[in-house]
Amino acid sequence: MREHTQQEEEAEINMTPMLDIVFIMLIFFIVTATFIKESGITVEKPSAVTAEKQDRASILIAITDNDEVWINRQKVDIKSLRTNIEKLHAENPQGTVVVQADVRSKAGLLIAVTEAVNASGVPSVAVATEEK
Amino acid sequence: MRKFSKPDEEAEINMTPMLDIVFIMLIFFIVTASFVKESGLDVNKPPPSEQQPQDDKKKNILIQIDASNRIFVNLRPIDIASVRANVERLHAENPEGVVVIQPASDAFAGLVVEIYDQARQAGVDNVSIAEATQ
Repeated sequence: MREHTQQEEEAEINMTPMLDIVFIMLIFFIVTATFIKESGITVEKPSAVTAEKQDRASILIAITDNDEVWINRQKVDIKSLRTNIEKLHAENPQGTVVVQADVRSKAGLLIAVTEAVNASGVPSVAVATEEK
Repeated sequence: MRKFSKPDEEAEINMTPMLDIVFIMLIFFIVTASFVKESGLDVNKPPPSEQQPQDDKKKNILIQIDASNRIFVNLRPIDIASVRANVERLHAENPEGVVVIQPASDAFAGLVVEIYDQARQAGVDNVSIAEATQ
């Protein structure tokens, strides 16, 4: 049997273990926070078998079926896309870009967006897919 | 002047304001944590220096998609279901050959991705998407 070293009049809860857990949770969430720039619109993604998980993805660009380009929750023109990517890429230089092209969007636009991403200096670009 | 209700022998630091801040930070990071994991196909272009267009033009597998979404493998019209079989056969004849997908700009992007996926399923690692030359 252990004895209390210092008996007090009022009961006090020992906060130390809870504080430890809270700090560990805090550090976990700070480390895993990636701040993905969502495109802000849902598209019907094509399905693929050989797709890989894009762990470092930080910028999402969506192409809708009526050929609008969305980045960071706003619709942008294809001409100003490169400036937008450069600005977002500067915030997180390790992140890569994922293009969410709708199944029925134009292939020419997909190529144009990929070229804009390449021109803005992002090392890797992928096309978002769904598992079959 | 405030009085301490119960003066202790040893000095104690008041942890309450720090705890408040830590909890608020914790809640902020929990709320902003987005565990979005996109899966996707890498469509990185091969570096242009490696290409010798004259040399391997015959070895390459050219898949064209026209504006009305018809598929041509080496200029022969085929069905979407037989893309993989065709690429496997041509790849077996020329293992060094790469697959080049040339969609018309009005073709569907979903079809390009599907062909890309099928070419990779056929065992070709070097698949590139090129703009159609008009």
